[in-house]
Amino acid sequence: MNLRPHHFILWGLFIAGMFLMPELVGKGTLRTMIFACYLAMFAISWDILSGRTGYISFGHPFLIGIGAYTTGILTRRYGFPVEASIPIAVLVTMAGGLIVLLPALRIKGSYFALVTLAVMELMYQLVPVVRPDLTGGTRGISRLPALTRGAENGYYLAVGLMLAVALMAWLLMRTRVGTALWAIGMNEESVRGSGLSTTRLKSFAFLVSAGVAGMAGAFYAHYLGTITPRAFFDINVLFQIIVAVLIGGAGTIVGPIIGAFFMVFLLEWLRPYLPGQERFFVYGLIALVIYMYQPRGIMAIVEGAWTRLRGARS
Amino acid sequence: MTFKCGIVTGLAASLLATTAMADIKVGFIGSLSSDTGLSTLRGAEMAIEELNAAGGMNGEQITLVSADTGEDVTEGVKAYEYLAETEEVDFVISGSIDDVSLGWLPRMQEYQIPTLDTWTSYIGIIDMVIEDPETMAPYFMNIASDEALATLYINFGADVLKAQMGWESVVILAEDTAFGEAITGLVTDALGPVAGIEVKEIITYDIGTVDFAPIFSKAQASGADFIYQVSSVNSQVISSQYVKLQVPMAMTGVNVSALGLEYWEDTGGAGGSISTLSPIPSVGFELDPASQKFVDDYQAKYDTRPKIPHFNGFNAYWGLKQAMAAAEEAGGFGDVKAWSAAMKKQDITLEKDGKLWLRYAFWGDDEVEEVTGRTYPHNARFDLTAPYEDAQPSMVVVQWKENGDVGVVYPPEYATTEFEVPSWVK
Repeated sequence: MNLRPHHFILWGLFIAGMFLMPELVGKGTLRTMIFACYLAMFAISWDILSGRTGYISFGHPFLIGIGAYTTGILTRRYGFPVEASIPIAVLVTMAGGLIVLLPALRIKGSYFALVTLAVMELMYQLVPVVRPDLTGGTRGISRLPALTRGAENGYYLAVGLMLAVALMAWLLMRTRVGTALWAIGMNEESVRGSGLSTTRLKSFAFLVSAGVAGMAGAFYAHYLGTITPRAFFDINVLFQIIVAVLIGGAGTIVGPIIGAFFMVFLLEWLRPYLPGQERFFVYGLIALVIYMYQPRGIMAIVEGAWTRLRGARS
Repeated sequence: MTFKCGIVTGLAASLLATTAMADIKVGFIGSLSSDTGLSTLRGAEMAIEELNAAGGMNGEQITLVSADTGEDVTEGVKAYEYLAETEEVDFVISGSIDDVSLGWLPRMQEYQIPTLDTWTSYIGIIDMVIEDPETMAPYFMNIASDEALATLYINFGADVLKAQMGWESVVILAEDTAFGEAITGLVTDALGPVAGIEVKEIITYDIGTVDFAPIFSKAQASGADFIYQVSSVNSQVISSQYVKLQVPMAMTGVNVSALGLEYWEDTGGAGGSISTLSPIPSVGFELDPASQKFVDDYQAKYDTRPKIPHFNGFNAYWGLKQAMAAAEEAGGFGDVKAWSAAMKKQDITLEKDGKLWLRYAFWGDDEVEEVTGRTYPHNARFDLTAPYEDAQPSMVVVQWKENGDVGVVYPPEYATTEFEVPSWVK
């Protein structure tokens, strides 16, 4: 795995910093950070599959939605305890994703993206009409049991989950499997030529990605307390996830986190000055400028600055 | 030294001034880019201006901050959190649509901030008040809930569509939204058994639909006598295409765009003959002197759309005054139960020509409405039985004429014009 002491120090500092936040910032900021943590988990989950293997998935909200709806239906309609409904939601997401999306992994490039987009759109159309007694139709399901109350508890839960997901993804990407996934993204034929089963590798990446999406979606649903098709299967959810990854830096662990925090905070900081939809225009403009300046995202900008700083010192 | 003292004194003075000014904070939650959202916002702004001019609430000035939802559910949750945690508002006034309100309701239950919804009419929220009166104590909805709206609309179906026009079957064209689903369900359940009108088919369409020709063809093929449309998003599109295509069957229902005076302009003058259910007051609705003054003041203050506030603008104006009156009685907004109890007692009666015309009041917790046989705690008071002596009806039906005029066609007690079918249908 090639783990070095500075890795532990950096992770330790990062974790300590995140857990100290409630002492440093107000509750309003913590609420914003909770949303950023969930978006970061969605973004990491997307990046595990798409950022590494190059298979761009437009169907991620579908996976997040399955996790959310499974736990929502189980807890509200069948009285399952949350402790049971969330693990089931993760399994259902992985299974549901496998059945519906895995066959699409045999298709490449933009065709794969379009198939996944079609699956998400199909889900958006189906949820309100298929068994609305279970899904709540277009109004969704309200009064989901809350896991925590208050900004601080919600923050600790969200940041704990995000750090666990980030650490797991980071460790995974330092294994040989992680390296092979990278290689698929660069040249799938070569990986296959070297005797590795790319189908198995992609399936594995997909399962991990779906598991994280389902888990994050389930916790997110309980945080929101209500789920509606528009909040999960909407194209805007997909855009947010992809923009977070691209702005932060695809193919990294910290990149999607930075991207998610940047996006969510920028919009909230703009709110008092531009309370209407104009803030989305400004935010889009800033994101575009960053992407044009450095297509590999904020992570690459930071790394470049760090390299220049070290070069100047030496 | 003198300079430093001056700075310190100046800072202290400005701090004190800020403290004195930061009194009662009201938060608006809703869309800042829709006519409905702006109606609530402006109604609240006008009420606050008047209250402040009269000395504020218990001598404290009232300020307003807004949080845009963009009619998005998640943005709605963020907006409520922003108002609660960052702005620390005392009271929230909402112009949110159904699923956006449902999205932030868990936050309201958590923060326990007194909140008034002026647009959403979802009966499920009133059911939540019944099931969970403790955490829903701060919530009030001062529009008649959709069950009451639909109940009176069924009367329109029986009295006008069936008895007067002789129509016996309907095809429903409903948009794919929470609102569309709810109204469709209520109308479908009641039109047949109560009004004796058979529902031939329900056609659901996406809110992004721009070409309604195939949908209207399908509606015609159903063989129904008339179309019932349910549309709250981009409603002017379906209306104008109906007129331009001269669809040879009458169309009525719920068309939110037709509730505003801009409807005629938005449809390019191609909106005649559309009739819609409307909460009160609507366009074409005769106003009592107090409501007319509100509209006159509104038009003097704002020169952008909506030219006349939608019903929720009136709800916000009177509702905010009632919320402040309740807070005065309860000693502020801090004691939510006391405020809630005081809010329930609020009752504004507006008369026109010596007759009760509009009433802004709430149903008692255990008070059973006779027609529907159920309770409506924390919901706007309405009357489903003519001659509407207890309160105004839950809704009226308005119709845009082919020359651009608009008037109320039902119920007769509030009617200003007759219901007509389009000239090309005759």
